[in-house]
Amino acid sequence: MAEKKKTYVEDIERTLYDIKNADHSVYKSHSGLTPEIVRDISQRKHDPEWMTQFRLKSLEVYDSLALPTWGPSLEELNMDDIVTYVQPDAKMTGKWEEVPEDIKDTFDRLGIPEAEKTSLGGVGAQYDSEVVYHSIQEDMVKQGVIYTDMETALREHGDIVQEYFMKLVPPKDHKFAALHGAVWSGGSFVYVPEGVHVEMPLQSYFRLNAAGAGQFEHTLIIVEKNASLHFIEGCSAPKYNVTNLHAGCVELFVKEGARLRYSTIENWSRNMMNLNTKRALVEKDGLIEWVSGSFGSHISCLYPCSVLHGENARCEFTGVTFASKGQNLDTGASVIHAAPHTSANINTRTISKAGGKATYRSAVKVTKNAPYAKCSVNCESLMLDNLSRSDTLPVMDIEGDEADIGHEAKIGRISDEAIFYLTSRGIDEEEARAMIVRGFVEPIAKELPLEYALEMNNLVNIELEGTMG
Amino acid sequence: MISEEIFSAIPMRTWRWLNVNEVKVPAGLSAEVKTEKILVEAGESKSVVLDRREPGALEVQAHIADGGELNLIYAQLVDEKDAAASRIKVYVGKGAKFNYTTVEAGAKHTAAELTVDMAGNDSVADVWGLYFGDGERKIDLNYIIRQQGRRTDANMQVRGALLGGAEKTFRGTLDFLEGSKGSVGREDEEVMVLSDHVQNRSVPIMLSHEDDVDGHHAVSIGKMDEGKLFYLMSRGLDLAEAQKLVVEANFQPVLDRIADEELKAEIDAYLQRRLSHG
Amino acid sequence: MAEQLLEIKDLHAGVEDKEILKGLSLSVGKGEVHVILGPNGSGKSTLMNIIMGHPKYTVTSGSMEFEGEDMKEMKTFERSRKGLFLSFQTPEEIPGITVENMLRTAKQVITGEKVKLLPFRKELKATMQELKMNPEYAQRYLNVGFSGGEKKRTEILQLLMLNPKLALLDETDSGLDVDAVQIVSEGVAKFHNEENSCLIITHNTRILEHLKVDKVHVLMNGQIVEEGGPELIEDINRRGFTHILAEQEG
Repeated sequence: MAEKKKTYVEDIERTLYDIKNADHSVYKSHSGLTPEIVRDISQRKHDPEWMTQFRLKSLEVYDSLALPTWGPSLEELNMDDIVTYVQPDAKMTGKWEEVPEDIKDTFDRLGIPEAEKTSLGGVGAQYDSEVVYHSIQEDMVKQGVIYTDMETALREHGDIVQEYFMKLVPPKDHKFAALHGAVWSGGSFVYVPEGVHVEMPLQSYFRLNAAGAGQFEHTLIIVEKNASLHFIEGCSAPKYNVTNLHAGCVELFVKEGARLRYSTIENWSRNMMNLNTKRALVEKDGLIEWVSGSFGSHISCLYPCSVLHGENARCEFTGVTFASKGQNLDTGASVIHAAPHTSANINTRTISKAGGKATYRSAVKVTKNAPYAKCSVNCESLMLDNLSRSDTLPVMDIEGDEADIGHEAKIGRISDEAIFYLTSRGIDEEEARAMIVRGFVEPIAKELPLEYALEMNNLVNIELEGTMG
Repeated sequence: MISEEIFSAIPMRTWRWLNVNEVKVPAGLSAEVKTEKILVEAGESKSVVLDRREPGALEVQAHIADGGELNLIYAQLVDEKDAAASRIKVYVGKGAKFNYTTVEAGAKHTAAELTVDMAGNDSVADVWGLYFGDGERKIDLNYIIRQQGRRTDANMQVRGALLGGAEKTFRGTLDFLEGSKGSVGREDEEVMVLSDHVQNRSVPIMLSHEDDVDGHHAVSIGKMDEGKLFYLMSRGLDLAEAQKLVVEANFQPVLDRIADEELKAEIDAYLQRRLSHG
Repeated sequence: MAEQLLEIKDLHAGVEDKEILKGLSLSVGKGEVHVILGPNGSGKSTLMNIIMGHPKYTVTSGSMEFEGEDMKEMKTFERSRKGLFLSFQTPEEIPGITVENMLRTAKQVITGEKVKLLPFRKELKATMQELKMNPEYAQRYLNVGFSGGEKKRTEILQLLMLNPKLALLDETDSGLDVDAVQIVSEGVAKFHNEENSCLIITHNTRILEHLKVDKVHVLMNGQIVEEGGPELIEDINRRGFTHILAEQEG
């Protein structure tokens, strides 16, 4: 029976994410944040001097900035309790066999090495604060593609890193960007040379194992002129009773005529505060495609931003957010049209249930320099009960008269008539509901890499279990 | 209310850099506040026209008892050298109906807040607004409809046209409170932008704490439909005349709600005059 | 007389406190084709929805049996699995669920067997061709963006694929052009055989062209006021419903 199978899936899924490994870290910073701690992290990471200074400066900015006055309350986050740097007992390696057993087991269970064999062009895996494994196909390397951890990039391609690092998301952007600048560790660096098409996706997986820790990985991707890339990011963590913090930063540079697809499935455990900043700068004729699934975390603030900087630059944003019990997921997107004939499509779905709170928040800005800008936004929210909340707060700020901007939003529940229609075809009510919810997120699911789409379907099934009386 | 810098705020804040969280008190607004109270008894039907020419601040409180109906028309044609602010609060009882038509066309700087509390079951709010900005005018609007009763029906229709260097922010909120089962809400804003120097901000907010609701909002911002313009010009109109006609057509559903023919004709003439300058 | 499939006796039903069906009796035998005629608002669609178990309606008294089994406690999906099928007057649009996905899921639960994808696809494609449907529609979301005619054809597609025992056709021919009615009519005729029955609401006799009608019921004001053979259709087409009322009262 289908129902039985669902329960089976639930068991596997939850166990899978929730396995906690013993904490074998070789070094942990003291919790809290002081110049000494930052200096200590910098030293252990063998930063070049400019980076040490960058970190210390970011810390100053961090101390000078207040918490945001909008969005979910972040009061329960106490930085004094967060361990900002946890160094696992492993050296970065390009050989899977060299990854320590318990860490390897974790990624094995998550299916990472399997995916690498079958459908990926390269894989990176980060465990707590450091990347433990990185590999890329030989022929990619021959074409000049660089895919490595940020630390290696800083050593071997320091000039490129220095040119781009936190230029798009400067530390003064907001408090958590500053925090990131001070204590960042790990993450991926990708460089795709002019005209190179990376056929198979590259995937980085981030796993936070240590309790009460923060993960601050930095992802820097540069796709040169007329090149293309699909990058996949996955995140998970076991559940603890203390707050964990994720304040990553993603900077994407899409050059003239280049294309970048950036897919994320975020399934952090529900003690996580996910305050991630993602931004893309898109040059002439370039395209950024965001595919973003937010399922995990206790609190999430995530609004990937696309700066359409060159003429004809485009942005496609596809997002789904599912907020269940104890979750406050504040997600959305922002687009800045800064050049003529730029265009953007934003398409999102949010679901809330069992007291979960889902907010869609967005900003579309068209500057004076962007005549003939086009933007269309469509967001739909589905509420599965009246314990939950669903809010939509989009802002459009348009200068000039040559822009064409449309926005549409809907909020509601599963219609009784749709249930009747499906049950009149022999499908029982529970399955009919599940089908409708899966159908609701389908436009998003079909944009996801297959294994993530399946994972999302499983999550929907798990979440819908027991919602029928 | 004049002493505070903030005149009105949206129910849920967002990024500060967007400058939409608050409506500021217009500079140079006189400290004097005029107040009006409108009481509609149970079952009574009342029409009130607020023909606004005086600058300064106006506060209106309307209470519509169960089964009552209020047709409120607010036409703001304050002199373009002055500032005007208005705050209108409406309580809508069980089965009661609030029909509102507003024209924000005058004043150098306009700040307006409308709050409708649909407290009663089966209450109806039908809000139609028109704004018109040209020159260096600033128009700052914040309309909030709170749907609290069961089976409430809210409709917010806003049409606008912006010329010259006008700067406008429209915030429209539909708030489905817990218990508003069976309620429906719809909000539309259509903005025509007729000049390169216009700044237009639109903030359509929808908040929901109830699943058994049907909420919908849509915004469209753009220049005029070129097909329409072409059609009119093929009938011999020049561009300015054609534009004028299209703007008027866009305003018509709002103006049609003004029963007072004299006032309607006056608003019409006023808009015509301003459009011809643009 | 044929074995009874659907038997409704003295049915009173309605929505909230409004009674719509006021003592309706009707029975359909195996392999039979029945037609229900009646003016707008007489309760025809309500009857179809009640037979299918729409939760909006409550049955206050009377009985309804399918193959001799009391239907009162049967949920909509159970009725479907027993062999009832409703072709909706205005089929629901359900985004995200493809026609193929819905049909395969339904077929699986109705037959209780796993339906293999490839043979299923083949059958679906062939059936769609018979109905002159573009096979691409199998991958479209259910009724989303379909024209009125396409929706109705999709209903008949489902009828043929799911092969129920009794098809309830609620104005399946309304809003269709002549060619489409022809296709739908042929589809229904293909479905109908000695085992399968039809209960048809229509305003248009063209859909009946390929069928042998066994019985015609005239539904007015929540009751069956007249019954007869196919000749009754002709009679009503000519004289309208009012004379029946007059005869009743006179």
